[in-house]
Amino acid sequence: MRRLLHSEIDFRHPFVLITGLLTALASGVVVFLFLFLVIQGQPAFTRMGFAFFSGEEWIPGETYGAWPLIYGSLVVTGLALLWVLPPALGCALFTSEYLRPKARVAMKAAMELLAGVPGILYGLLGVSFLAVWVRDVLGLIDGNTLLTASLLLAVMVLPTIMTLSEDACRAVPSEYRDTARALGLTRAEVVFGVVLPQALPGIAGAVLLGLGRAMGETVAVMLVIGGLDRVPLPWYDITQPGQNIPSKLGREAAEALGSGLHWNALIASGLVLFLMVMLFSLAGNFLLKRKRA
Amino acid sequence: MSRKTKDFLIMMALGLCALLGAALLGFILSAVLWRGWPALGFDFLFTAPGKFGEGGVLFQALGTLLLTLGAGALCFPLALGSALFQTEVLRPGKWNDTVSLLLYSLNAVPTVLFGLIGFLVFGVWMDTGVSWLTGVLVLAVMILPTVQTAVRQSMQAIPESYQETARALGLTPWQRVRAVVLPRSVAGLVTGVLMGLARAAGETAAIMFTATVFSGVLFPKSLSDPALTLQTHILTLAQEAVDPAAQAAAWGAGLVLISLVFCLIGLSLLIRRRNAVEADL
Repeated sequence: MRRLLHSEIDFRHPFVLITGLLTALASGVVVFLFLFLVIQGQPAFTRMGFAFFSGEEWIPGETYGAWPLIYGSLVVTGLALLWVLPPALGCALFTSEYLRPKARVAMKAAMELLAGVPGILYGLLGVSFLAVWVRDVLGLIDGNTLLTASLLLAVMVLPTIMTLSEDACRAVPSEYRDTARALGLTRAEVVFGVVLPQALPGIAGAVLLGLGRAMGETVAVMLVIGGLDRVPLPWYDITQPGQNIPSKLGREAAEALGSGLHWNALIASGLVLFLMVMLFSLAGNFLLKRKRA
Repeated sequence: MSRKTKDFLIMMALGLCALLGAALLGFILSAVLWRGWPALGFDFLFTAPGKFGEGGVLFQALGTLLLTLGAGALCFPLALGSALFQTEVLRPGKWNDTVSLLLYSLNAVPTVLFGLIGFLVFGVWMDTGVSWLTGVLVLAVMILPTVQTAVRQSMQAIPESYQETARALGLTPWQRVRAVVLPRSVAGLVTGVLMGLARAAGETAAIMFTATVFSGVLFPKSLSDPALTLQTHILTLAQEAVDPAAQAAAWGAGLVLISLVFCLIGLSLLIRRRNAVEADL
């Protein structure tokens, strides 16, 4: 006990008891959540075995193969990353290296507002604008495709990745910049030769955190992904409708409740999603922390 | 190409990216304003909804406020208490890190899973059905990491010399919390809660099964009644993408929602900024 607490703490004091209880409650809720996911999802893993991950058929009451959902989650998130990376990094570098302090603060505030726009509004924008544009530009019958979902996600995570990367660039000591400038390097050479390499771990962390956010987003994706549980043919044709895990959960949960294995299979795919996001977030957090130290 | 031209071109390219980011915010705001403004009016803002999504959004807005404030009120003591325990009682070390990691990992739970879990635990096992209280509980857990991390970080940012002075004066931990920790971290507390509220106000997936219905109630009269909210209202209307009246109502509701969220975020930015300036002096 003594080694856990600060030395002057009297653990019979009500303050210690109350805050301790609240901490236990908060942590307990989290532990309960994880146990819940594992216990409720486990029947699907035991019944389906590896076929849960590799199967391509999801027919409630018969078989639950989550591969199309996992594929959809990975493809949509990966593509979103591809679209968002160049503009987000450019925006971060420009804001941290070229803008004056006042303009920089304004830009950061704008990005924080943008990051707070509710997901459902992105969904509405996606339905009314993006899906229509994708349909018209590519000449498709239906604008709700994997591509549309990935574009929408790219827009959604841009502010997150941009602000965090910008923080990483600002954390590079200004002596480095001054030294490089004094050596006669141009501004652009300083940015790409000094700032970017130094800030890279932090930027990687920012990207991973943004990736985690994109992966778990539900309502916006649900409205524009098309909702078809299959891997497109051929597999790289992203202009076909698809499905990802959160969207599947959002669509089917209400009907699956209490229907045995169907529910377990949904929770199991939720668990898979959670583990993937957790992996990204932990790696991202590790990289961000390391940079600061 | 000379180094100077290259330098210039790169600056232009980066500037273009920044412009794109700013233009995106501009586009989103103007799209919401442009599509939502026509729907807005006294009737839209202050009347009860009709059966099929026509009519006003008064009760949807009240429902969103109810869920958001309820979640904030429930989350606040948990976040404050556990942050105090972590900074003032528990020594830094393995246990402290474990608590941080547990709460942090909540951030990685996709919000729709909160909805599913809340649905089964409260709606079925505890047999409350779809109720606004379930929504409050689910949202409170969802925003816990946001609020708790902000509160804890603002407490950890208090200069060690303040704490040492308080200790040297012989203050007990509780006296120290009242005299030093709380007053010095109040800005962080407020901004943390505001960010949490903004997150809760914009959240749809976590409450769409657990707490809300599209029509049939106005404002919950008992603990087990469902509520109407702006978010789920927009979701239902957006799925009827072909009906122009539904579209117009969805954009109107979206405009109301985004104004609410932006007020919360703007306020937190203001407080943080004013406080940062004071700290620099």
